Order: sequence, then structure tokens, then C-alpha cells
Amino acid sequence: MTPAREQLLALRQVTVSFQGFVAVDRLDLAVASGELRCLIGPNGAGKSTTLDLICGKSRTTSGEIAFRGAPIHALKEFRIARTGIGRKFQVPSVFRELTVRENLEIGCSRGPGVWRNLFRFSGGADTERLERLAVLVGLEDHLETQAAQLSHGQTQWLEIALILAQDPVLILMDEPTAGMTAHETSMTAALFNRLRGRHTLVVVEHDMGFVRDIAETISVMHQGRLLAQGTADEISQDAKVREAYLGSGGIGHA
Amino acid sequence: MSGKISRQILLYGIVCLAILAVPLLVDNAFLLNKYARYLIFGMLAIALSLSWGYAGILNLGQAMTFGLGSYCMAMFLKLKTVPIHTGSDGLPDFMVWNNVTELPWIWVPFQSMPFALLAGMLVPALFAALLGWFMFGGRVAGVYAAIITLAAMVVVNLIIIDQQSYTGGFNGITDLAQFDILGLAFDAYSASTYYLVAVCLTVTLFVALVVSRSKTGLILQAVRDQEERVRFFGYDVALYKTFIFALSAAIAGLAGMLYTIVMEFASPTFLGVPLSLSIVIWVAVGGRQSLLGAMLGAMLVTGVQGALSETEAFLETWTLVMGGLFVLIVLFMPKGLAGAVEALLRRIPGGERKGDARPAARQGSKSQPHLGGAL
Repeated sequence: MTPAREQLLALRQVTVSFQGFVAVDRLDLAVASGELRCLIGPNGAGKSTTLDLICGKSRTTSGEIAFRGAPIHALKEFRIARTGIGRKFQVPSVFRELTVRENLEIGCSRGPGVWRNLFRFSGGADTERLERLAVLVGLEDHLETQAAQLSHGQTQWLEIALILAQDPVLILMDEPTAGMTAHETSMTAALFNRLRGRHTLVVVEHDMGFVRDIAETISVMHQGRLLAQGTADEISQDAKVREAYLGSGGIGHA
Repeated sequence: MSGKISRQILLYGIVCLAILAVPLLVDNAFLLNKYARYLIFGMLAIALSLSWGYAGILNLGQAMTFGLGSYCMAMFLKLKTVPIHTGSDGLPDFMVWNNVTELPWIWVPFQSMPFALLAGMLVPALFAALLGWFMFGGRVAGVYAAIITLAAMVVVNLIIIDQQSYTGGFNGITDLAQFDILGLAFDAYSASTYYLVAVCLTVTLFVALVVSRSKTGLILQAVRDQEERVRFFGYDVALYKTFIFALSAAIAGLAGMLYTIVMEFASPTFLGVPLSLSIVIWVAVGGRQSLLGAMLGAMLVTGVQGALSETEAFLETWTLVMGGLFVLIVLFMPKGLAGAVEALLRRIPGGERKGDARPAARQGSKSQPHLGGAL
């Protein structure tokens, strides 16, 4: 798609059906290395399902997903993660019974083996990196706080920090700003703009203001298919996109 | 953080020293034998705390691995008696009664002590690893996993009872030789056997502590919290769970071997449902997320049980009293006695409030000794 940059992720004719309901229908999607791609679409368009398929949470019915040129759709979840794919879920999922520091330690998953981790203890080699990440997301004063006691926004930030600790090549973000205040949202946009280039991001988002702030290319999905693709301006002029969004009051409020 | 860990090591060390010091105060072989039994139950509780408290795997069949360890030791000690208790062919007595003419192949390697000692831990661990691999690889969790562990134990129990000519059946394996190693003899009714058990318990407790404090232990706690999420960081959750399940089984196997030495026999009741469910009760009472709590819970419950059942006033009603106490603890202390003690210590001024983010409070608590979180 973008000949200047190497293609990192490619979905080819990907289809998934759940007991007859086709959630994703012959989807073709390509993301170049270093790109920040936004995935938008009305409710039920298959955006989250697409992320699920990439990270292995759901299995494709047919079609192929290739990452760095190799097919990944048949791999187990942890193997997909080890190829360099990280996922942030829509409902913030951190380890609520553990402290922020312990959460971040789990995020540092470069050496995922049982034996190796038997001989690793808190305060090891990851400490400095982990504390830098806590500063980055504003949780440096809460390292010993139990994650269950964080506010909703802080929990979102913690999960973003967990993904950064994992340091994947490709980051899949499902509604990262859901439940955030306007201020927190603009901080998230600033963070994403810093990640651009170092990581490749695929972001599912409803907040069009946020999408305009960060996206270079936007892919619009509708009823499991790719409806349109382009810059924010191209998308908002597109007749098919306007039609798909009519039911939900126009793209601005989607 | 490191202060908290050193306090924990200190507390664990003090408890172990106290346990090791008991024979200095008690000079009664019968009592020492009884206390050694309680220590072994403490080891079983540690084993279950690792799998249930840390990894969320409720193992209702913990006694299976305990029994397998116990039988490994009994087979070795039985063969040591040959030919004293046997007929002319050098066979264990119950085999002669069952018209077995040749030592079964499964018994042959148990003539070697190193093999028997290794087998006592590795056989249970392998059993558990195999079972765990099927369960966790197939994403069986929660209540279903608990039922499978219970069923597996019942199956092994039935096989042992059924294969009378190889296992002694209902009677188990009795009339054993005394265990001795490096010239030291371990009479079941002696301080030396108590020390053997106490040292094994101490080593077990600290190995379990290291595992629980390692990153592997942390990842297992995350699995308990949100199994699904851990996978997406690239951790092989099935492998982690299988590992802790097998480690727990190896500890239970060691406890089983010691139990054979202390009881001087092995019996199918060691793999029974009553014992297996008792372990769950001990750990629930002590606090499943605390190794020390679980261990002390086992000793406390079995100790009180022993005392009550020997007291004339409670001869008829002691099971009722125990049941009532258990219900009360589970209702009012969901984290067991250890959780209750920790909550109490945190209320004392200067005690660390878990999750307290105020820097002033944290600095204040650093200088003051407290045991919050050390259990």
C-alpha cells in the first residue's frame, strides 16, 4: 500500500462467523511498519473483532493474517504475543489484586519462560525501565498502590503502560480514551504521537476529535467490511461513509 | 519493599526455629510422633497454598500425590525387611499370601534407596504434570478442574485397593523396616524423626517462599486474577499452571514419604477423600494466600482436633465443634486467620496500609517495625 515503508501486518480475505453471524466479512487490511492507523466504524462494524482476530482471541473462519510476512492466525495467543503484538482491551484489564509495580513487572515479558522467571525477583534489571514508564503515565506516586484502588482513567493509563512495558512491535488499542476526561484524552493523543514511528499502532476509537489528532490513515469498517480508507478529510467527504453513519447521527458523534 | 521481604524472612525463620526447638521442651516420644504428624500436615497445606492460593487451582485431590509419595517410601522400606517378614522367595509377605511368585517389575527399582527417594517426589510430580497438562492445555479451570482432581484421586485410590497382590490392597503396606540414611536411624517415636520432618518442613517453606516471591510466582498470581489477560503478554499460562501443580505435587509427595516413616505404614486412606478435603479446610482456615498462614492453619486445626477428640467432654461432639468453627472462620474471615491478623496489624498506628499512596505515610511507616504483609 505504501511502497516507501515495509508492510508489517496484512489481513487477506479474513472472515469470521459466530454461529452464522458474520462479524468480519472478507476483510483486506494492510498496515505499514511505523504507521498509526485508526479503525473506526459504527457499532457492530467488527472493529474489536478484527483486533481479536489479530491477537488470537478469536479464530478466523477463513482467510489469512500475516505479521512480518509470516502467517499468525493459527498460532496460540501467547505465541502471537511473542512475535511482537500487544493488545489493550476495551474494558481496562489490569491485575487488580496486584500493585502497580507488580503489574508493570508482569508487563515486562521479554523472558516469558517459567524457569528463567523462577530466578528473577522484584527489584531486578527491569526496575529502572519500569519506573520510567510509571513516570510517563503519571503513576510514579502509586507504584505500591493496589491496582483495584486506581481511578478509571488511571487504570486506562496503567494498561497502556503495561503494553509499553511489553514493548511490542505492533500495538492494538481498543478504545484507549474511553472514560477519560478531555485533559486525559489530549495527554493520550500526545503520547500516541510520541509512539508513532517507534511502534506500529492500530487504534479502534469512537472519539473523532482524538482520531483527527493522531491518525494519518483512517480505515472505516461497516458490517464487517472495509468501507473506505484515507485521511480524515477524505473520509469525512466520502458519501458511503456518511450513509453508513446516518443511523447514528453523523460521523462527528459516532 | 525489600524491608517488607526481610521482615517476612525473619518471621518465617522465627517460626521454623520455634518448631525445631520443640524437642528441647518435650521429652515424650509419643507426643513428638504426634507433633511430627502435624508438621507433615503443615507441608501438605503449603503445597495446596501454592496451587490454590497463588495460582487459583483448587486441588481437591492433593491427597493423591501425598499417597503416591507415601507408597513409594513404603515399598522401599518393605523391601528392606525381606526376607525377615517373608517366605522363602524373598517377597513381601502380602505377595506371598496372594500367590505372587516373582517380585513385580514395578517393585524392583525400589530396592535402591536413591531411586525410592527420587520416585517419592518425581512420581507424584509426573502424575500431576500429566494431569495438569491435559487440564490446563485444554483450558479446564475453576470448579471443573477441582472435580477432575478429585476424580483422579478416587481412580488412583481404587486401583491401589484393587491391585491387592501388588499394593497390599485395603490393608496397605505394613510391617516396614526402619528408615535409616548415612548411618542415622529414624525411629518413628524419637526426636530424630521429629527433626527430620522439621528440617524438611523448613526447607519446603523457604523453597515455597522463594517461588512465591519470584517473577514466576507473580505471574501465577496474575493468572489467578485474570488468566485470559496474561496470555496476551506472551506467557504460556498452561505451562505456568502445570509447573506449580507439579511442584505442589512434589511437596505433597515428600510429605507422604515422611508420613510413612512417622506412621510406619502406608494405606489407601492416605489417598482418601476425607484427608483431601481436610487439607482444603486447613488452608482455608489458615489463609490460602499466605504460606505460613496455611501451614499454621493445618497444625492448629489438626492440633485442636486431636485435643478435642481426646477430651472427655467432647468425645461425642468434637466433629460438630470443628465444623462450627470452620463455618465461622470462612464466613467472617474470607482470607483466613492470616488475613485477619494482617488486617489487625494494619489498624495499629504505624502499620502499613496496603495501597496507601501518601508519601508521608509511607515514609512514616518505614522507620517503624510492623508485620503487615509479612505473613
